[in-house]
Amino acid sequence: MDILSIGALLLLVMLLLLSGGVWIAMTLAIVGWVGQAFFTNTMPGKNLFSAFWESNASWELAALPLFIWMGEILFRTKLSEEMFEGLRPWLNRIPGRLMHTTILGCGVFGSVSGSSAATCATIAKVALPELVRRGYNEKLAIGALATAGTLGILIPPSITMVVYAVAADASIIRIFLAGFLPGALLMLLFSGYIAWWSLRNPSQVPAADPPTNLLEKIKRSGQLIPCALLIVFIVWVLVAGWATATECAAFGVLGSLAIAAWGRSLTWQNFWDGLMGTTRTSCMIMFILAGAAFLTKTMAFTGVPRELAEWVNSMNLSPYALIGCLVVVYLILGTALDGISMIVLTAAVVLPMIQKAGFDLIWFGIFIILLVEIAEVTPPVGFNLFVLQNMTGKDSNLIAKAALPFFGCLVVCIALITLFPQIVTFLPDLVMGVDK
Amino acid sequence: MTSPVPTPQAKHPAAKAQRGALPAPLRKGLDGLFDAAAAVAACCVLAIFVLMIVGGVGRQLNVKVSGVNDIVAWLCAAASFFAMAHAFKHGDFVRVTLILEKLSAPVRRWFDLVCLSIAALSVGYLTHSATAFTLESYEFAEMATGLVVIPIWIPQASFVVGSWLLLLAVLDELWIVLCGGKPSYQTAVEERHAKGDFSADV
Repeated sequence: MDILSIGALLLLVMLLLLSGGVWIAMTLAIVGWVGQAFFTNTMPGKNLFSAFWESNASWELAALPLFIWMGEILFRTKLSEEMFEGLRPWLNRIPGRLMHTTILGCGVFGSVSGSSAATCATIAKVALPELVRRGYNEKLAIGALATAGTLGILIPPSITMVVYAVAADASIIRIFLAGFLPGALLMLLFSGYIAWWSLRNPSQVPAADPPTNLLEKIKRSGQLIPCALLIVFIVWVLVAGWATATECAAFGVLGSLAIAAWGRSLTWQNFWDGLMGTTRTSCMIMFILAGAAFLTKTMAFTGVPRELAEWVNSMNLSPYALIGCLVVVYLILGTALDGISMIVLTAAVVLPMIQKAGFDLIWFGIFIILLVEIAEVTPPVGFNLFVLQNMTGKDSNLIAKAALPFFGCLVVCIALITLFPQIVTFLPDLVMGVDK
Repeated sequence: MTSPVPTPQAKHPAAKAQRGALPAPLRKGLDGLFDAAAAVAACCVLAIFVLMIVGGVGRQLNVKVSGVNDIVAWLCAAASFFAMAHAFKHGDFVRVTLILEKLSAPVRRWFDLVCLSIAALSVGYLTHSATAFTLESYEFAEMATGLVVIPIWIPQASFVVGSWLLLLAVLDELWIVLCGGKPSYQTAVEERHAKGDFSADV
């Protein structure tokens, strides 16, 4: 049996188990075991043990529970109410007015939270009813919230980025830094669309709030100052290289606890609920990473990824054609898998191929995260669609249709970073020096 | 937003009503065991947080805090292993439900039975490896290679305990479904989403 047929067989086993509903982490480990037991001369039992132990007993991975915890704490504060009130006075003169609270709110919350579903749920909880009550177009608001919620995983800190960095053996800080400019670009595209839509449909934009002076504006946004300080602090720590990613996460947790205490929403119950939620979520992710670590060992023993990379290389595809193919593959995977599983599942096979084709791993990380964002808003299993369906009671296909223009913005963003990779690599190169 | 220690009675109404369901004290004991292990895991996360703060501040003050990184790595592993059983029962482990959701209840039950059997076999294998190789490092008195030199079996014990608990949880679910009950991992997710809690979903 040649190496590529072994790869195809393993892929078949994996698809069978996954579609049948076997838990993803277990599927990864089972496929890894099949590969080692039948096609190599190694001891799968010993390798399984060391893969699980080495992948979980990692000092770098300790950043993961801490970043999750940060989001969990803020999720349980009154930040969502404060966000809408605090952003409101600044948006009167922009076309689209308060509609921009959706994009800005998600952007701001995304810079303290690393989860797309939590960002979407937190901002939508207050912004959506307030906007509808004031007579803003509901369809536009829903579309904006569904898609802008995904900023949670693009703007650092991001749980998905930590997972990618671990899977690709890249620097967490470097990939965090790479997320800032594409995040800003994407927010600009979203807001640009809202402004353009509002200029075309002036009848659907309610009148402005009475004007306020600067002092009044600052007073109303006062509640957001601690959150803004936390964001500035995180960005500063990352850019100045003052602390490691794990330390940055620990201080982020400290800051979030301080914000929660200041807003009087830090009860023992909230503290413990957040901590337990964190423990469960990080356990789930670490279990997947452990299963994937075992599968990666199998891949290294059998040589499938190397062979595949050679094969793809021998086809002499242009880099853009390769990227085009990967976009299609990830869009298909995204219909059934969540973002983290998608990244972990493909890392062992796709990354060698990407490196061989001359792409930067950090750039590819941002690219894959944008594709995960698309997957979150495409039926049948886009998770943000599900979140909004639960909150509004509307059909998920309707929400997906509302998100379509913003989906277009995501596609434009992917095209832009592919044509101008500097958008991604500029900041990390500036701060940390050019890699390699 | 579930309470940290949910009462077992409230958590498994379906399982309780079933024929062949575990007797109440055993049910309560098992759930208590899984929740207690998860609480230990949560304390590990808390300890990681405290140690990282101490380490970061200590470095600024030029206080020597060597070995913190090793301990944090072991705590990270323990946090993951001890929580596995609870996270599994709580429905946090992701799986593809695209096809499952389209099936009728009896067919879905068969799918769940097959999945749980596969899970029991593979977790059983994992538990075997964890136990066998940790025993090996105990017998050969293998030491940790970092700055904190202790026998490596001590931190590895969290792997052994965690995988045994996960095996127990998988067998427990298999038994519940065999008796005609609805699996807890499914009930828990449905309840959570009905309440509008999406904090568990990345």
